[in-house]
Amino acid sequence: MENSHCPKILIVDDEKGLRIGTKRLLEGEGYFVETAENGYDGIKLGTTTEFDLAIIDLKMPDIDGIQVMKEILKVYPDSVCLIATGYASYETAIEAIKFGAFSYIPKPFTPEELFQKLSQGYSRRELILEKKKWKQEREERLLEVAFEKSRLNTIINSITDGLLVVNKNGEAVLFNPSALKYLSFDQIKIEENIMDKLHPQIADLINKFLSSQKCEQKSFSSEVELKPNREFYVEATSSPVANPDGTLAGVVVVMKDITELKKIEFLKSQFVSMVSHELKAPIAAVYGYLKLFSDISIHLSEEQKLNYLNRSQIRLDGLLKMVNDLLDISRMELRTVNKEIKEIDLYVIIKSIIELFQIEIKKKNISVNVNSSEVLPCLLADQDEISRLCTNLISNSIKYNRQDGSIDIILSSSGNYIILEVKDTGIGLKPAEKAKLFQEFFRAKNEKTKDISGTGLGLSIVKRIVDSYSGKMEVESEFNIGTSFKIFLPLRNGIKNKKQNAGN
Amino acid sequence: MAKIAIIDDDPDILDASSLVLTSKGYEVVTATNPDDGYKIVKENSPDLIILDVMMNEPDDGFFLAQKFRKEKISSPIIMYTSVSKSLGMDFGVNELVPVDEFVEKPISPEQLIEKVEKLLHAKGGV
Repeated sequence: MENSHCPKILIVDDEKGLRIGTKRLLEGEGYFVETAENGYDGIKLGTTTEFDLAIIDLKMPDIDGIQVMKEILKVYPDSVCLIATGYASYETAIEAIKFGAFSYIPKPFTPEELFQKLSQGYSRRELILEKKKWKQEREERLLEVAFEKSRLNTIINSITDGLLVVNKNGEAVLFNPSALKYLSFDQIKIEENIMDKLHPQIADLINKFLSSQKCEQKSFSSEVELKPNREFYVEATSSPVANPDGTLAGVVVVMKDITELKKIEFLKSQFVSMVSHELKAPIAAVYGYLKLFSDISIHLSEEQKLNYLNRSQIRLDGLLKMVNDLLDISRMELRTVNKEIKEIDLYVIIKSIIELFQIEIKKKNISVNVNSSEVLPCLLADQDEISRLCTNLISNSIKYNRQDGSIDIILSSSGNYIILEVKDTGIGLKPAEKAKLFQEFFRAKNEKTKDISGTGLGLSIVKRIVDSYSGKMEVESEFNIGTSFKIFLPLRNGIKNKKQNAGN
Repeated sequence: MAKIAIIDDDPDILDASSLVLTSKGYEVVTATNPDDGYKIVKENSPDLIILDVMMNEPDDGFFLAQKFRKEKISSPIIMYTSVSKSLGMDFGVNELVPVDEFVEKPISPEQLIEKVEKLLHAKGGV
């Protein structure tokens, strides 16, 4: 046989000689042959394994051949059955075929007759199998298409971007729930013309294609404020949908929620304008004084000159500090600061900072008390950052303190935290000022602060450092009484940005 | 000689501006916040008001100007601005912004004097 797999044949016959002879003959031709000596065994074999072909004797002592065939066909309807009969007659042939036999072989038969019948039968079998395969494949494909369609629908419906497809007449043909939500529509009817209902900017994006009815492969995008006051912004992009012949079928619009981005953008531009304003203020002040000096029509006394020079100096110092603070903040934002984590002694750091501020402390006659609990655990942190944090807090407690005031610095630990408290007897904060304390450039402005210079960035830097160690801070303050800052720094856990050379 | 009120939270700007104006013979009253500013205007009825746009809040000078106009204080107002451009608030002189002139910081004395004189002259020549 030419076929790659050898055809399986079942021979059911009570005549032993015929069984054995036929089996040998067929095996010689490359068939796989099994035999049964009666109807009962024939049914058993033919219903447990699917045979390609079965040659069944019509007359057997127990069960007749047609019954055996019927039983086999019940289980394997695609098995091709041939009825062998020594009483060949027109009626038996008709009857056998009526019940599902492919053909019959009159007995006795010559090998040629047998091969011819089997070959015909096998061709039939192959046709049946082929047909079955096609049918199955088609069903699978249909199933696949249905599945694919529902899968696509599910995907389109679940994406967060809004999707809207209109045909070339501007009628809605496809949309997802996000699109309804973004456009604030309760419902869109399929094939409803929605061009007039759309936000003009989105309609414009669609019209870019509809008006020309050209299907150029390009997209148009624009940022659309769907709800005022920056409440809801989308980036809408329109692209053409082409027919198979390349003409315009419609337009697909994808809307992406960019509200958060817009908010950040707004904050950024606000920050930039705040920075510009803050940088410009000292420049304007110094500029104003310099103009006084250069204006010949204005007469300045020596005392005034000295005062204005002094003021200019102070403003320029402030400007320089501010630029440095800004650089620090930007370094922190960009995370270019690599923390050099090592064991540091907070007490030593604070002592050395107080030493640096001796002149200011003496000028105001402030008494500084540092208290540390006896067993203070070592802090694992970056020395520069913690120094910066302490410097900013201590410098504030001096700057905003009253003459002859005091500063209490208390170091303690509790649970997993090391606690630094800096308490002053300064001007304190009004409740409204307290709320804005950590905002960049916020400085309490009142009669008491007008002569104190500052960048308005010191506490914002403190907060950034504390946050970067997953610490927390508390502020207590009473106007005219004083302010107390409590910094909680975790002892071990939660150190972000830990550098590889930790423990060096 | 005309009386001018300057309201600005920057003491150095106040000093320099006052000196420029007093050297030209004007009488100057100053305040460093909107509340005090309102007070000195009410008390002194100045012929001209110079107002910083950004004091405690980014636009409280602007609101103070509106308050003056609501209370029929019609003295011309010059507004000091520093971030009008970067804020994207392109102030123009119109009904919504009840201000007669803008001066952008840093302020040059010549420009300030010129604008002050122009407004006082327009008002009826003091």
